Amino acid sequence: MMDLVLLAFIGYILVLGLRRPFLWVLLYVYIDILAPQRIGFSVITSLPVSLIAFAAAFGGWLALDRKEGARFTFRQGLMAMLLLYCWWTTGHADFPLEAATKWDWVWKALLFAIFLPLTLTTRARIEGLALLLVLSVATIVIGTGLKTILGGGGYENLKFFVNDNSGIYESSTLATVAIGLVPLIWWLVRHGTIFRPHWLVTGFAIALTFACFLVPVGTEARTGLLCIAALAGLMLRYTKRRLLFIAGAGALGLAALPFLPQSYYQRMATIAAPDGDESASTRVAVWEWTIGYASKNPFGGGFDAYRSNRFEYTMPVKKTDGNTTSVEYREVVDEARAFHSSIFEMLGEQGWPGLIMWFALHIIGLVQMEILQRRWRNAEDEAERWIAPLAAALQMGAVIYLIGATFQGIAYQPVILMLVGLQTALHTYCRRIDSARGLLDRSTARRQAIGTKLRGAVAA
Amino acid sequence: MIDYFALALGHGLMAIALLRLVMKPGLDEDPLIAAIKDETQENRKATSTAGRNAARRDRDDGGDNPVS
Repeated sequence: MMDLVLLAFIGYILVLGLRRPFLWVLLYVYIDILAPQRIGFSVITSLPVSLIAFAAAFGGWLALDRKEGARFTFRQGLMAMLLLYCWWTTGHADFPLEAATKWDWVWKALLFAIFLPLTLTTRARIEGLALLLVLSVATIVIGTGLKTILGGGGYENLKFFVNDNSGIYESSTLATVAIGLVPLIWWLVRHGTIFRPHWLVTGFAIALTFACFLVPVGTEARTGLLCIAALAGLMLRYTKRRLLFIAGAGALGLAALPFLPQSYYQRMATIAAPDGDESASTRVAVWEWTIGYASKNPFGGGFDAYRSNRFEYTMPVKKTDGNTTSVEYREVVDEARAFHSSIFEMLGEQGWPGLIMWFALHIIGLVQMEILQRRWRNAEDEAERWIAPLAAALQMGAVIYLIGATFQGIAYQPVILMLVGLQTALHTYCRRIDSARGLLDRSTARRQAIGTKLRGAVAA
Repeated sequence: MIDYFALALGHGLMAIALLRLVMKPGLDEDPLIAAIKDETQENRKATSTAGRNAARRDRDDGGDNPVS
């Protein structure tokens, strides 16, 4: 039954796409994020829905789209370079089999991110993608939020639609993406034209934002807490009454404390004291190992290069027996620990060139969004006043992602690459407006000059 | 049960959003950029010799020959 409903939904978008092929691009986005082929049980699991959607999206664009305003930008070039470089390192990988497995999905994510901005040539398309991104993630977040409220949460306990820790269905990744999308949710509430400002939209957005904040609580992902703090810090820039905001956020935080489970406190306490937690203390060891590895292999070891690491260290283990708690130091041997950080993931797998390309990709995005905000913040017209807030929302999302990415290996996370695509598209769109305006100004000046000349000739 | 509810709500909203998007007039051609381009085109037409001649003919004919 579930399979049929999901297939019917995919069929519905395919049919709508016959009229507007751009919808096939959104179909791929939906499939890539939500992975309906893994939610279902029977027919849908055997169909290559992702491939069908990609073929439709690319073919539809190539054959049927106007392609007016499609530009190949520097950031797309950077991603193309990164893609080629990853292909090269995969060929020289330390662990060829494992590297090939990761390459299998990374190239698709990168290729789609390069392709995406070419299709986002109008305001409606930019908004359409933003809305579909939010609603796809919302589908997962709503379920997670409800389960947390009803008491089904807990680290590694909370069940998603898909429970294989892949893609966005990994607790820390979901927490980062959910918090990073909060500014975009509120941009859609204020400037949406598909769902126009309405009390129902605002009500849904409030509930969804609350659910997004519940993801780090429900999954007990420590990174999520950092992301919430980052979001609060970033919001300060756009708040007129800053003191009131700080007091309000503090009060809200305090009010939430009694509702948090004990296990949540215990897990969050390990942020400040990483010694007692294996996941946190190995992180530091892996990072040190990666720096050493990169100095020997400056061009990286290919995907999954971390598999060659091995550490021995002593870790305090607390034992409670009745009223006494004893701390015992135990020798722990760890092998093949993942990078737990996108920065070190890039450094270890793709070496310094890969890390520089990845950093450049995101830093240029932050700068471009800053320029757009400043350039368009005084726009009053309905057709333009959405630009600066969208640039601000995308910039906040990118900062939150970068903070989350510092503690997770999510350098090629497709949702984030789609946000990169959205940033690139917005930047290109604004440049097109500026260039069209430039031409208009010149033609107006010429028309006026000729008009004056003609009037002068008639008068003479 | 919660999963079914979340899936139904998410997919329902996406279905409505996509339908509205298909109906949207500015999906394939941006209205703002198109308006700027149209205006530029009009200016160019008015400043070109052919455009001016057409406008003059129009005046001489007393408006019978509209400039297109």
